[in-house]
Amino acid sequence: MAKQPARRSDRSPAGAPAEQAAVDRSWRLYASTAVAAGILVAALIGILVIPAGQRENAGLSFYEAVCRALGMSPGSPAQAQPVSTATSLPVSQVSWDPEIMRILASGSTRRGAAIAAQTCAACHGDKGLAKLQFPALAGQTPEAIYKQLSDFQSGARVNPQMTPVAKALPVRDLANVAAYYAAESKSYTALGLRDFSGDVEIEKLAREGDSHRRIPACMSCHVNGVGGPIETPTITGQNADYIVAQLNAYASGTRKNDVYGRMRNIAAKLTPREREELARYFEGTL
Amino acid sequence: MATVAEPLPVSPRRRKARAEAMTVGNLVLAHVWVGIAAFAVACILGVWQMWARSPLEAPANTAANYFRSVTLHGVSMAFVLTTFFIMGFGYFTSEAALRRPLPGLRFAWAAFWMGLIGVLMAALSVISGNASVLYTFYPPMTATVWFYIGLVLVVVGSWIWCLIMIVAMRQWKAANPGQPVPLAMFATVANAIMWLWTTAGVAIELLFQVIPAALGLNGMVDVGLSRTLFSWTLHAIVYFWLFPSYIAFYTMFPRAAGGRLYSDTMGRLAFILFLLYSLPVGLHHLFMDPEHSNGFKFIQMFLTALVSVPTLLTIFTITASAEVAGRMRGGTGTFGWIRALPWDRPMVLATGLAFVMLFFGGGGGLINMSYGMNAMVHNTSWVTAHFHLIFGGTVVIMYFAIAYAMWPRLTGRAYPSLKPLRTQLWLWFAGMMIMTLPWHYTGLQGQWRRVAAFDYSNPMIAAWGPWVIVSLLGGIMLAVSALMFVYNLAMLHRRGASAANSGPFHFAIAVHPPERIPASLNGFGLWNILVAVLMLVAYGYPIAQFFIDPPPQAVVHRLS
Repeated sequence: MAKQPARRSDRSPAGAPAEQAAVDRSWRLYASTAVAAGILVAALIGILVIPAGQRENAGLSFYEAVCRALGMSPGSPAQAQPVSTATSLPVSQVSWDPEIMRILASGSTRRGAAIAAQTCAACHGDKGLAKLQFPALAGQTPEAIYKQLSDFQSGARVNPQMTPVAKALPVRDLANVAAYYAAESKSYTALGLRDFSGDVEIEKLAREGDSHRRIPACMSCHVNGVGGPIETPTITGQNADYIVAQLNAYASGTRKNDVYGRMRNIAAKLTPREREELARYFEGTL
Repeated sequence: MATVAEPLPVSPRRRKARAEAMTVGNLVLAHVWVGIAAFAVACILGVWQMWARSPLEAPANTAANYFRSVTLHGVSMAFVLTTFFIMGFGYFTSEAALRRPLPGLRFAWAAFWMGLIGVLMAALSVISGNASVLYTFYPPMTATVWFYIGLVLVVVGSWIWCLIMIVAMRQWKAANPGQPVPLAMFATVANAIMWLWTTAGVAIELLFQVIPAALGLNGMVDVGLSRTLFSWTLHAIVYFWLFPSYIAFYTMFPRAAGGRLYSDTMGRLAFILFLLYSLPVGLHHLFMDPEHSNGFKFIQMFLTALVSVPTLLTIFTITASAEVAGRMRGGTGTFGWIRALPWDRPMVLATGLAFVMLFFGGGGGLINMSYGMNAMVHNTSWVTAHFHLIFGGTVVIMYFAIAYAMWPRLTGRAYPSLKPLRTQLWLWFAGMMIMTLPWHYTGLQGQWRRVAAFDYSNPMIAAWGPWVIVSLLGGIMLAVSALMFVYNLAMLHRRGASAANSGPFHFAIAVHPPERIPASLNGFGLWNILVAVLMLVAYGYPIAQFFIDPPPQAVVHRLS
């Protein structure tokens, strides 16, 4: 429209008679005025009137209130909040910020393999295929391994053997080890690939949970790719002894590096028999 | 309207037009059947979802299955049914209202196949479990890239439709200088232009944020910006779906009721107001979001309030048209004309039922758009109830009526009886009310939406259980009605031909058919400029702020 100012008279519909342009001029004027008036009223109320009326409660000057209404300065909290004096027990220091994600994504598996052979293999087995009470690592996600190593390092999780090992390694090496077990040794393991079969009750608990006791399904998080928290370990195929030991530790509260106490809550609701049967179910030996 | 004075085409041209009509007819049928197929699948899934959320034991009930199902239900209903139906109806309207061959028929078929391939790509992505992200594009969670590419193909197909509609109107205007464009076509083009504006937001979001994230090209994403861009699309898309219903109200209902449209100008105004005020209002979906200031939220809330104006204009005009029809049919007294209306005709019945559902759904919508009240119902099943009443109620019931009206024309066959059609419409209405009214109630009680299961052993929420079961019953009625709809249309396709329906399709005539109207009511140049101004005011700074002072980004969470 605006491109051809020279043809003012017939610029509206193709070939419209000239007398229509005259009728149309007032239409254009009224419509534009109405729309502009609507915008003006909305802006007036939203950006001037309401901030002016509410600024006193928030202890703001009129100028500050208008800037906040426009989004040009941060809008909340309106009043300074009292600083919390409560002390909390940090369960975990891990935060999945871009820095860590980048380190994990670029972890050197070769360097990780060297560290693993030197420090980890004695207990976690060659290629991460541990037996008995030690957890198998091959095939876990790097996030799951890194979370635990970092928790051992920060003291959120305590184990007489693991704590000194983790404390001796810099963050980058934790990531390298995590990357090694996640990727390079994956082919040596069947973690996450077992066939499930077992007691109907236990299988239901694993797959669907128990809504009457508010126990969510294990598999709503502990299977790869279901969208649970990023640090959730895969437990299908994990050693039963290790799983039982961890469930008991969560239930008694001796292990507490689970965010929001999710696992402490769940484990405490499971009976000792259920913990053992679930562990054997996930190991795949039932 | 154009249908009054239009002379019938001469014989040789008529033969040519008829050959053309066959192809356009098939085009319309292909589009509508794809939409209906998606709709039928989505209805069955919907019932299962209600079952899974209820206290009753549903089969295959896992959270993963629930979100997969919701995604498929939403994508089928919101993107496949609507887009294909609207495109099909647009082609039908263009031909029936303009009485000219459709320009770019080959492009229209190309768009159809492209869209169909896109639908299959998206559907396979969802079924394989790689795209359980629901039907909204809210990173940082991202699906497999095939899901997004599939939906992009559907949208690009719909853009081709938009261009064909615009070209068809321009060609008609060039051939009929100074004449008013038939209202049905004017409205269809208003919808096409609105859709081009609407999809810009989500297209930018997909192209620059979501698809790169899904491909693994960027590990971080600015979720505030993507939510804002999606909100650009999120409200106007609803009006895109709603437009055919309003086109039917204005251009099909008055004729079906045996009367005339009360005012043609009012119709044009309503469609123009929809174009203007459905776009700069999307922030009302983000009232509880922290990334926008109260001032801009208020401006968009104010503009949202204005979008109720065309709906109120429509209710007035259509009720007046119904009264004209009722009195012409011998109805007297203050309300006597209502009983005199031919309620046995599907279009009339559907319009009446749509108005009832619009009353409840619109009322709920006014509460959603009010900043303070929104805080009470935000992300509860109240919202789900609202959009099911508007979409499932007003929109889809009119899709039924439109399909019922187009079918005899497209297939050349007549319904042996209208009773199964009426039964289907009544069942849909009853099912929708029974399903959504308890949802409103549980929403006010705080029932979350987008949640796979509820722990009904918890005394705080145990009382929701019976209401959810009532909703499930409504859902079953809806699924039965949906299957009846498919059956009714399929049966007409199979029946023997009847000569009764070979004539051209007629849209409603206005009481005072327009002879000369201002150019502004006959085109969209002015309104496009005003939309641009409104969008600049409403979305200019809210989007610019992400670039002026970039906020921290979120880690992308890929589902595949």
